[in-house]
Amino acid sequence: MSEKMSDSETPHSESDGTEGAPGIQDPSPAETAGSSSASIPDNSTDVAPTRKARRRPETKPAEETRPTPKAEEEQQPAKTPSESTVSQGGWGYWGSWGKSILSTATATVTTVGQGLTQVIEKAETSLGIPSPTELSAKVEEEEKHQGEGSSETEKSATDGSSPAGGAMGMFSSLTSVVQTTGKTVITGGLDALEFIGKKTMDVIAEGDPGFKKTKGLMNRNASLSQVLREAKEREELQTAKKESSDTEKKVVAHYGMLFDEFQGLSHLEALEILSRESESKVKSVLTTLSGDELIQLREELDQIKESFSMVEFDDEEVDDKKDEDGTEFEKDLTSAVDGLSVSATENKLIKACQNARSTISDMSVPQEDGEETERTHSAEDVHATAIRSLAELTARSIELFHKLAEMILFSNGSTDANVLSQLTVVLCKEISLLSKKFTSCLTTAGFKEKGDVLNPLITGIFLEASNSASYIQDAFQLLMPILEISHIQRRAGRAEQ
Amino acid sequence: MAYAYLFKYIIIGDTGVGKSCLLLQFTDKRFQPVHDLTIGVEFGARMITIDGKQIKLQIWDTAGQESFRSITRSYYRGAAGALLVYDITRRDTFNHLTTWLEDARQHSNSNMVIMLIGNKSDLESRREVKKEEGEAFAREHGLIFMETSAKTASNVEEAFINTAKEIYEKIQEGVFDINNEANGIKIGPQHPTTNSPLSTSQGGQHAGGGCC
Repeated sequence: MSEKMSDSETPHSESDGTEGAPGIQDPSPAETAGSSSASIPDNSTDVAPTRKARRRPETKPAEETRPTPKAEEEQQPAKTPSESTVSQGGWGYWGSWGKSILSTATATVTTVGQGLTQVIEKAETSLGIPSPTELSAKVEEEEKHQGEGSSETEKSATDGSSPAGGAMGMFSSLTSVVQTTGKTVITGGLDALEFIGKKTMDVIAEGDPGFKKTKGLMNRNASLSQVLREAKEREELQTAKKESSDTEKKVVAHYGMLFDEFQGLSHLEALEILSRESESKVKSVLTTLSGDELIQLREELDQIKESFSMVEFDDEEVDDKKDEDGTEFEKDLTSAVDGLSVSATENKLIKACQNARSTISDMSVPQEDGEETERTHSAEDVHATAIRSLAELTARSIELFHKLAEMILFSNGSTDANVLSQLTVVLCKEISLLSKKFTSCLTTAGFKEKGDVLNPLITGIFLEASNSASYIQDAFQLLMPILEISHIQRRAGRAEQ
Repeated sequence: MAYAYLFKYIIIGDTGVGKSCLLLQFTDKRFQPVHDLTIGVEFGARMITIDGKQIKLQIWDTAGQESFRSITRSYYRGAAGALLVYDITRRDTFNHLTTWLEDARQHSNSNMVIMLIGNKSDLESRREVKKEEGEAFAREHGLIFMETSAKTASNVEEAFINTAKEIYEKIQEGVFDINNEANGIKIGPQHPTTNSPLSTSQGGQHAGGGCC
């Protein structure tokens, strides 16, 4: 695990975990003071290794990728150095998704009103998750606060760990880990929310040396489908165990298994095959060239690469009021894939979204208090539906990317990488929007529930939503070598004429 | 839900021979007379039982169109079994078998089990390829052979399951290295050997008693 550290030079929370024994739940803030003072001097140099350690070395330097609002934040000196490092790094575009999660939570609060705020306040004391309103409003202050009041937060986190651990068990890629490192994730509430997804993986993987598999996600050599498959297998095992040991326990929603059921894994695997093959073809073409020819092709390929490192997801645009019926999404999606001959897959995706939306509106019907309680949807129902919808949507999105890859290779027509990045944004927005809707629906459904029941469910949806967005972005990255080889082949075709 | 092994299959053969229909019949037990042209590859999965063991078949149904060939070839690698399908009512689909076979052998691992399938056996009146011809071809090239009908479901189960049995036997004989995923075989999620009651079925003690 020490090489992991030197590998990534990532945030404090990792170093905490790595220093301590695996079981130690010591959350970040306590050591933030210590480790941040240590890392402040080399804060500037820290940026480079971080980026190098990422799976996408092609990602452009942070200065170019990071969205403007992010840039402002990063100038805040109060920001924990290691954290800003991460957001500046390979996940430049990721940071903005994190932001959207924050405002998502805020949006939920405003929509639902008091209810959730109370829930979250409760949760805050029991789980150490800072209030979302607070989070998005006063990010730096919160960070300071975290740093100072860390020991307090820690203690409460340890106390409130069991409900969180239980719910966390449902998270796809996180399954087993979180039970041991859950508190790291939760206590660093801000981290967890802000860099949820990939960042979470980071924290978890680093925090739990025993969990080498998850670490695979950070490793370019391990394929994404492999990681997902393993996560799914663990879930299957868990389910099997639960069935034998505790029959009355409710069936929990397993993202990974559902994702596989919708053939998401297979499409991902196939996409990876195409991507790998294209990558090696590109490499072999490059070795046959020399001199000006090589320089020129390199430049052309760099242009393609650039489009893949500039995905910006401006969450200001994600307004859950705006796209109530999903027509906006359908329009965006259709215009993004227009002319790419993937209408069958596109329709599947649209249908999945429509289903999700209609389920949400069914579940959101205001329910009478009292006699109808039995017929109403429980918070667990909503949660299970949300996870299922997210898994389906993600699987369909990856199917779409796979079909796009096939059509690009098949037709060898010119495909603009920017169109594909636009598509990625559209899909991630939809995921974000749906997760907002689901959580607000969940809060309504579970208004009677206690915070320690409701909150892990809400966090669960956001986590899977961010994982979903992360898988979609990874699938998008797999298209890069495909566009490159397609470009090379078109070029060769032109030369022959 | 948990399985002992996962086998990856590919289905190959000329366009319109009924590859996607075979898959649909096997996974969903239904027949769809009009099917969209497959683009690239589509997927299906089903659990079967062999020798008391749960085996998950992960099936890659490839596009038959010539123009997709360079893409679909990429998917051959890492398949444990292949269903090579022709249409008994179209002689040309039978004539192309040699090309398909060469392609498959070249782009997949040498141990891949290949099942030759003469589909549309329900259309006896329009038959152009005799059953004996199929058998002869299979014998000559070391394939298993069956005639099926995706429409009536005749022999469809058998085709998929017999292929799996052959793979399973090869595993028992040690021909397949199950730890090498390039062979298209994955071992299912490992049950903790100590406490799970489900894990007993995974134990080696059943291996000898299998009769299928």
